[in-house]
Order: sequence, then structure tokens, then C-alpha cells
Amino acid sequence: MTGDKDLAMLKERLAGRRGRAFWRGLDDLSSTPEFRRFLTREFPALEPPPSGPSRREALKVMGASLALAGVAGCDGVPDERALPYVKAPEFALPGQARHYATSVTMGGFAQPVLGETHEGRPTKLEGNPHHPASRGATDAFTQAAILGLYDPDRSQTPRERGRPTDWQAFEAAAISAAAQAKAVDGEGFRILIGRSTSPTLARQLAAMRAAMPKARWHEFEPVDASGYEASRIAFGRPLEQHFRLDEAEATVCLDADILGPGPRQVLHARQWSARRAGFQNGVGECRLLVAEASPSLTGVTADRRLIAEPHRTEALAAAIGFALDAGGDGNIPLSTEETEFVRAAAAALLRRRGRSLFIVGPAQPASVQAIALRVNQRLGNIGRTVQFTEALAVLPSQEDSLAALTRDMAAGRVTTLAILGANPVYSAPADIPFAAALARVGTVVHAGLHYDETAAQAHWHAPLLHDLEMWSDGRAVDGHAGILQPLVRPFFGGRSPHRLLQILLGDLDTSGYEMVRETWRETASGGDFEEAWSAALLQGYVEDSAPAPLSPVPDLLENSSAPQRQAVAAGAPLTVEFRPDASVWDGRFANNAWLQELPRPLSKLVWDNVIQISPALAREQGLSDGDIAEIRLGGRTIDGPVSVVPGQAARTLTLTLGYGRTAAGQVQEKVGFDVYPLRTSGMAAFAEGASLHPTGASMKLATTQLHFAMEGFDFIRSVTPEQVTEGAASKQAEHPSLYTDYPQGSPNWGMSIDLDVCIGCNACVSACNAENNIPMVGKDQVAKGREMHWLRIDRYYEGRPDNPRHHFQPVPCMHCEQAPCEMGCPVNATTHSPDGLNQQIYNRCIGTRTCSSFCPYKVRRFNWFDLTGNDPPSVQAARNPDVTVRDRGVMEKCTYCVQRISEARIAAKLEDRSIADGEVLTACQQACPTDAIVFGDITDPASAVSRRKASPRDYSLLEEANTRPRTTYLARIEKEGK
Amino acid sequence: MQIFTPSADTRLRLFVSVVIVLILGSLAFLSGHAESSFATKRGWVQEQPVPFSHEHHVAGLGLDCRYCHASVENSAHAGFPPTHTCMTCHSQLYTDASELAPVRQSMAKNLPIRWNRVSALPDYVYFNHSIHIDRGIACVECHGRVDRMPITFRAKPFQMEFCLGCHRDPAPHLRPPNMTTVMDWGDWQEKHPEYGAEAMAAHNIEPEKLVSCTTCHR
Repeated sequence: MTGDKDLAMLKERLAGRRGRAFWRGLDDLSSTPEFRRFLTREFPALEPPPSGPSRREALKVMGASLALAGVAGCDGVPDERALPYVKAPEFALPGQARHYATSVTMGGFAQPVLGETHEGRPTKLEGNPHHPASRGATDAFTQAAILGLYDPDRSQTPRERGRPTDWQAFEAAAISAAAQAKAVDGEGFRILIGRSTSPTLARQLAAMRAAMPKARWHEFEPVDASGYEASRIAFGRPLEQHFRLDEAEATVCLDADILGPGPRQVLHARQWSARRAGFQNGVGECRLLVAEASPSLTGVTADRRLIAEPHRTEALAAAIGFALDAGGDGNIPLSTEETEFVRAAAAALLRRRGRSLFIVGPAQPASVQAIALRVNQRLGNIGRTVQFTEALAVLPSQEDSLAALTRDMAAGRVTTLAILGANPVYSAPADIPFAAALARVGTVVHAGLHYDETAAQAHWHAPLLHDLEMWSDGRAVDGHAGILQPLVRPFFGGRSPHRLLQILLGDLDTSGYEMVRETWRETASGGDFEEAWSAALLQGYVEDSAPAPLSPVPDLLENSSAPQRQAVAAGAPLTVEFRPDASVWDGRFANNAWLQELPRPLSKLVWDNVIQISPALAREQGLSDGDIAEIRLGGRTIDGPVSVVPGQAARTLTLTLGYGRTAAGQVQEKVGFDVYPLRTSGMAAFAEGASLHPTGASMKLATTQLHFAMEGFDFIRSVTPEQVTEGAASKQAEHPSLYTDYPQGSPNWGMSIDLDVCIGCNACVSACNAENNIPMVGKDQVAKGREMHWLRIDRYYEGRPDNPRHHFQPVPCMHCEQAPCEMGCPVNATTHSPDGLNQQIYNRCIGTRTCSSFCPYKVRRFNWFDLTGNDPPSVQAARNPDVTVRDRGVMEKCTYCVQRISEARIAAKLEDRSIADGEVLTACQQACPTDAIVFGDITDPASAVSRRKASPRDYSLLEEANTRPRTTYLARIEKEGK
Repeated sequence: MQIFTPSADTRLRLFVSVVIVLILGSLAFLSGHAESSFATKRGWVQEQPVPFSHEHHVAGLGLDCRYCHASVENSAHAGFPPTHTCMTCHSQLYTDASELAPVRQSMAKNLPIRWNRVSALPDYVYFNHSIHIDRGIACVECHGRVDRMPITFRAKPFQMEFCLGCHRDPAPHLRPPNMTTVMDWGDWQEKHPEYGAEAMAAHNIEPEKLVSCTTCHR
């Protein structure tokens, strides 16, 4: 539908519009008749299936179900059993949730959380507000990690050549293999791990090195954003780079998605929003300039975005380096746009010398990243906006670690290989024949959460424990070490990586708990260890455990400017860019339905990956969304559906990793296509010389972008910085209404969402899923517009289709004071509470869906099926007991987390006090890394939400509908405000 | 030509009246059924693995409710006693009683006793014991005279109407919070006619907020 659009025609249409023109997608802009039909149906879901029942048949079925309805109503409350403890654990209070500080790991880094447990059953991970790295925020992956714990497809038993066996057999085999290796000082004994920052693992590594001096360790992480290689070139050794975005008044990113998904997203987003808040209050600037090929969260947040093919980054970096006197050659051919960008970037960086930041992304060759280090040094930023510490990873990987291992394996030099928490058979670069070399290894032992692709080729497989089931430790991205404590006993009886390594050392007895304690006993500097241990468990991190920033920073090596990149292959038409996926990352979350159904931040695509192409390329090749095309690159080919992405570089194809897995579980079966076969070790981030060939076939993609579209205008508003300081943007007076005003008792709840700091990261949506028992519906149902997320993040484009400006807008229930849904409901199933909530009562709802058709914001969701009853028992155990699990045929929607309000209200009443500001945090607010969402009592003028709503930037969505929503927005601050 | 037989009209009338009677009858039956103790399970004795007598333990021995239902003041759930609680006495008393075999087995095998719930609420109702106890709603208000129940049964219908009755007008049901486990209140109302209103004022209880849907449903 999209690709053959005439760009000139689109531009003409835009020119013809008056006022500020937003568009939701290319279909919207082109206003095809198909799209108009799609939009005028209030719910796309209502479309009858082409071969569905006729009206007559439907009525017949309805009659039958009506007759049966009375029968169903006869059920009494089913008899329930009550199973008390035999011996109650100390401090156990049935019905009261308990929280434990722990962490879950992501790309080796510990993401601090507070795990909520109900009667020993973990149900939700909240951010840890005491942790210096996150201050309570989390990302979408962390929120969904709880489902990973309950994944019914997790490996449950050790296996020998695929056949289930028991732990005794596994342990005996492991010990004998280790004993043989020890006899020859570890000759031929290799261990391959995913990235880890665990001090206990480091200690075990040292012990193993002592026991088997000839054994070798290798590290493999498919998505490496560490920049170790760059600091190795620049400083001679791998260092950890820490940005201080909160200090940086001007940041220039080249191909660097610092706000995008990944272990550091929360830290960076928090820092950036702190700087942005300063800017909003008139303290300093917050400039962000980005050059990138495919729209990223950082790029769309930036106030200046340049579309640059990946291979142009080197030229841009060199030009900026030259302009700032950081060496290099000034003779770089640049286009007009690039020259302008370079000039603006250099000026911004220079103007804020010492408070600016220049970043070249980890996707770029290390030599290009090193240019950024030199520029930052030149500007005096090092030690201020960018700091260095020793590397946090246990094994700061050499780029060729896996390649070296594979060479040795192929040469028969490896007798025993233990793989811990890595899946190289699936994710190894295409030019490393890891799977083939595996056949030449004497004994392969694999340990992982799933019986995955690598496990299937190993002689032995052992199930690993989930992070929430074991004792371990790890470092957060800011360097603070945290103890991972189990929230629950292991469901399936796996082993932690520490236990498995200990087994390889011939020690069967030491528990994970003792091992972790031993690590910290050794490092405890005086004082009472038990006290320090308890404190670390209680607050979720070890005090003063972050490595100090290096001061002075080691000198830059002179030869660091030597360009290392190969010249662009002649006649290479297209560049392929590989990115970790915002939902499944490198494939590790492929079996997590919450993440699969989480609309990707920019494309709003679910349950699939695509080849992202630019509108220009789509037009040239006659491709449109869902058409299957083949990519050829260096003799390798893959094919998958294309998606036309406004703002994509014309000659770049962007692919996301992690799909097309063959052995991850039921959820991801037949989902997406595998792009690893195109990815080679030298070109892990992008590769030139590809070509694209339409196959003529096409498939349906499910995106939520056009679902629940509102009718109206001015959804997104923005103001100029001057208007904020002057307070000029006057608020409109309240319109008169025919309906009675609701009483304004105290407390009365309201929410404010700051569009100026929302980066569209999805943490809120993911948190809402976990908190409110949101059912997942699958790709087919999403395609029909039946997704159940209570909170959606609308994305709008503005401007030219080839380089539009992006806007995000999270839309929960508005909790209107004059709510149309309440007027529409024939059975009073949706009513208003005295504290200002728009209540939805499931047991009263008969499913007429009138409320939904009355709702101008389209925030109500209908249960078309029993979406929860057939879930595996383990998934049912993940549910929040404080929220009703909805049945078929009822409407549901955002409740402002009424269960949390009730809990706080009862707690306050028990102490005969009022609810303090900040005592009730909605799940979305709690997770938000940029503090975009604030919730509280609007009758208290001192509350955070009241102060937000008093801002001149405050506005209501669809103000003309006069529904008086309790959720309001703060306008974006832009240079050219409207 | 006559299309309908002479009796057609009668038959139609008969059919229509039968339909009307059936509809009215089934409506009457359904409403009666909903109110009946068959539907509400009021007064129905639940079979239990151990024939535990509240009458004996409360009226006979004078045990306080909170000895076994220990979390009632601090949590949403009143809590069932762990086997350990039973065994504090029954490791000394009636150690051979056959009725107590499930308790001893639970202890020995470390498996919970499977009680059948008497006062179960639907899953969409969220009741919090602690706040009701704190405001002075006596146990007997909902659970009845358990001190007169040799085998426990549901004393009140636990329909929404029952809950709303109190939420609309809490005053007559309020008692001093430190006396909530008292079973027999006799002529308390006559002797302390003002107590309810005073307690409402003291705790700032607002009935209009108590009847808001999300007070109980979420």
C-alpha cells in the first residue's frame, strides 16, 4: 500500500494542509480509500471476516448463547481449598506483599530491582529507588523478566545427547571431564561464557586458572556495546566509558543510540531527563544532535537529526574532529547537509567546552570511536562529561575471542568445552563456523535457561537457574556491585553458573550462597562482615563498590588515529545495518510473549522483524509494507518482509537480530527471520555491498500504529523556550458543561505526562503488563486491532516523509471528569469514584462495548475471548493477586493502578493519616526512566502533579471534547513551537 | 376459504399465556434461587478434614480469634493457623485422637492441611480484614456466632447487598476496636447509642466513599 506512493504527491498534500500537520503513518498521509475505510471504522476489529457467518447465522448463535446465559448465571462460588503453612516462615504475613532487593542481568550487567512476592511467589519487579544507577527506574526488558522466570519452556532437566538424564549422571560426567583436564594442567579445556560482571565468577575464574594453568576462557556477547576495543586502541587497554549526560549541555551522537534499548538505557535516560529538567527550568542548555541511518530513540529525541548512511559516520567524525582542532585531515568531501551538521555540531560542542559530549556509537569501527575520545579530550570533557573506569566485565572481550576458540576447535586442540549462558550456534557471526567446529570437540557441556540451538549440539546440557532463583552477584552499569538473592526456590531444579563451575572444579558441596558470601568476605575491608552483608542485601547494592573514575586519565596513544577501515567496495549499492531488537534483543527474549507483543518503539510492529527500507528505496523497487524481499550480501542471502520507514537513510537496510530461532520455545515458533547468517565478525554492526531483490511474495505484518486512532487535532503541542520562561502559553478557560461537576474531595487523583522528556522507550507499557495482568493476544488478533495493552504510546510524524520529525504520546485512560463512557454504559459498569477515578467494574460489565464507542481517546479494551484461562499453570502463577483476571466478554482499561491506591489508602487509614505525595506510584510512573509520568493528588497544591499541571505547558488531549480529563500533558519545548 | 381452524385462536392464546407464565415463573425462580441459602450457602456445613469445633475452642476454652487467625489485624487475610499452631496444644492434648490424625500427618509429612473454605468471596472482590478490625467491625458481624458452631458454616449470605448494607450505614455496626473479637454484644446498641456516630467522626468515615465501586472491586 505504501511503497509506490509518489513523494511529490505526498508533499503536495502536506503543503495543502493548514496549521500543524501530524500523520500517524504513510497510509494516513496518503489518505488512500483503504485507509479512510480503516479509520472511519472506530474499531478495525469490527470488520466481519470475509467468509464469516451471515447476520442470520450470527443471530441464531446469539439466541442460543442468550438461552444458555441464564444457566451460566446459576454457578455459585466454587468451593475453594485453603492451605495454610505447616510451619509459618518468620515474618510471613499472608496477603501482604514482601519486597526483596535483587537484580536481573541484561547483557552481563545487573539491573537493580525490588522483587515483589506474594506468599513466596514473585509477581512484579519494581525499580530499586535506592540504587544510584537507576533510582527506581527500569526498562521494558527488566519489567518482562518476571515472565522469563515462569516460562514453561525453560529447560527442566539435564540431558545427555538430548535424552533426559539426572543430575548425578551429569555431575559424574562433569567431574570426570574436569579431572582429566586437570591431569594435563587444563590443556584443551575451554570455557565460553556470555558477558558477565560477577565478582564471584571472577574469583572462580582465578581459582580455575590456578588449578588448570593451560585452560582458556572465552567470552562471546552477540551485541557488544562496551567500546572496549576503542579504548584498547586509544589507551592500550580496555576501559569502561561512563557518560554523564546530566552534565552535558550539548551532546553530539554519531550512529550512537544512547537512549535506545540496552543495559545503559535507564541510566542514560535518567541522566538526560535530569539535564532536560534543568533546561526546562532555565538552567543551562540541553542540545542533542544526532546523525544516524535509521531512526532511533536518540535520533527522534534530538533537536537536530541528520540522516547519514553508516559509512558516512567516519567522515562526519573526522570533519568534526578537524573542526575542533583534534587532528586529522580537513580534506573530507561532505554534502551540504553534512557540512551544515558538522558546523552546527562543532559550534555546539565548542560553545559548551567542558560541558559537552561527543559520542561515536559502538557500531562504528574502533578507530572512528577513538576520534570521539580525542575530541572529548581536546574539549576538556574527559573527567567531566565522560569518565573512565577499569572495565567492569569479568573478561573484557577481545573481538576475536570466539574466532580464536573456533580455530582451535577446528584444529582439534579442544578436548572439553563448557558453554555457560551463551548460544553461539544461533548467534555466532556467519564467517565463524562454530557449529561445524563443535563436532571436533571431545566433550561439549552446555548450560542455559533453555534447551536451545547450542544445547541441541552439545553432548551434555544442564538447565541454568533464572536470576530470580539463585544467589549470584553482578555490577550495575555505574559499577556498583549488587547481590542477586533468590526470590523463590528453583522451580525446575537447575544450577547456578557458580555451582556448575564449582562442579568443574571438583567441588559438589559448596552452595551458591556460600560462594557469593565468600567473595564479599574477601573484599570486605574491616568492619563487621555480617552487618555489611545485610546492608547490601537490604539496599540492593554494596556500598562504595563502584570503581573510582581513573584520574588522571591515561594518555591517548599516538597511533590511535590510524584509519583501519576497509575502503568501500566499488559498485556497492546498499548498506545493511544490524541492530539489537527492542523486544528480543539478540534473541534471548524470543520466548517472552510480553516482549514479543510490545509494539516496537518506532515501528509499532509486533511479533515479527522486518527489513527497514527508506521510502525512496521502496519507490525505486516497487515495494510496500509486508512484501518479501531477498537481501544478497557477499554470497549469502536471507529473505524477509520489508517495512517502509520514514526517516530511514535512502541506501541503508536496517535489520534487527534475535528472530527466526529454531529452539527457543512455543512462543516464538515461526516468528520472524534470522539475520545472523548475513552478519560477519568484521562487520557486526553494518556491512556494505548488499543488494535487495523483491520476490513477489508478501505477508501480513501486525502493527498497532493505526489502531485506536483518535479523531481530532492538536494531539501534540509544543512551545518555544521563550514561551515557557514567559509563561505566555495561556491556558484556556474551562468550557461550560451540561453535566454536573463531580465533588472535589481530597484526595483526588490526576496524572501529568511530560512529552518533552518522553523518549517512547516502552518501559511504562511493559510495567503495566506485569502489574495489571494484561493478557497477550498473538499476532493475528493484534492485526485485527484487538491488543489488550491498557497504555499505548502513539507515535506521530510531522513534516516530510523522507525526514520527518517524530513525536511520542503515551495514552492511558484519561479518567475524564465528564466521562462519555459513563454516560454510555447501559448497566452502570463504568462509574465515577469520589476520588476522581473512572472505574470499570468487570463483574457488572455485560460487554455491550458502548463505552468504547463513546470514548474519544480510544483507551478501552474488550476481551473478545477467554485470553487467560488456557495459560499454562506456571504463567498463571505470575499474575498479580491484587488485580482481577478478566474473563471473556468484559471491557477493561487503565485504572490508575487502583490496587496501589487502595493499598496506600488502607495503610494511611490504619495510621490515621492522609496519603503522602509520592506514596502512590502507578506502575508506569514507577518504571519511567525519565520521570515523564507524575501521578498524585490534584487537590493538594503542593503535590508534584499539581505543580506540573500549573505549568504553562499543561494541556488536555481533545480539549474541544470538554471531557475534562484528569490525565493531561505538558507540551514539548521546541525551537519553533506551535 | 378458511385458512385457520376454529381452535387456532385458542391455541395461540394458550401458547402465549404458557410462555408468559414460564418467563414469569423462571424469573421468580431465579430471584428466589439467588436469595436462597442454596445459592448463598448460608447455614450449609462444609465437610472438613478435621471436624474442628469453634464452639469448643472459643466458647469452651475461651481462645481469642487472633490466636489462630493471627494476621487479621495486619493484613488483608485473617490467615489460617499453620499446623504448628494446632500442635502447640495438641502435641500434649488428645495426642491419640483419631480426628486429629490429619493434623499429625500434616506435621510429620510437612504437607498442609486442605481445609474447605467457608467464607469464600468471589475473585473480583477484595476484602481487607485489617482495616475493618481497626475501625471496629466485630468478627461476629460477618462470621456470626462461631462460638455456637460445633462445625463451622457460613452465617451471612456474603452477597453484595450484605456488604453494602454496612458500607452505606456503618454507624450501628461499629464497636471499640480493642473488643472486636467479642462474640456476644447483647444490648450494646441500647447502652451506647452514640458510639457509632462518634466513631464515624473520629475516624473520618465517609459512607459515600465506602460505596464507591473500587473500594471492593479492582
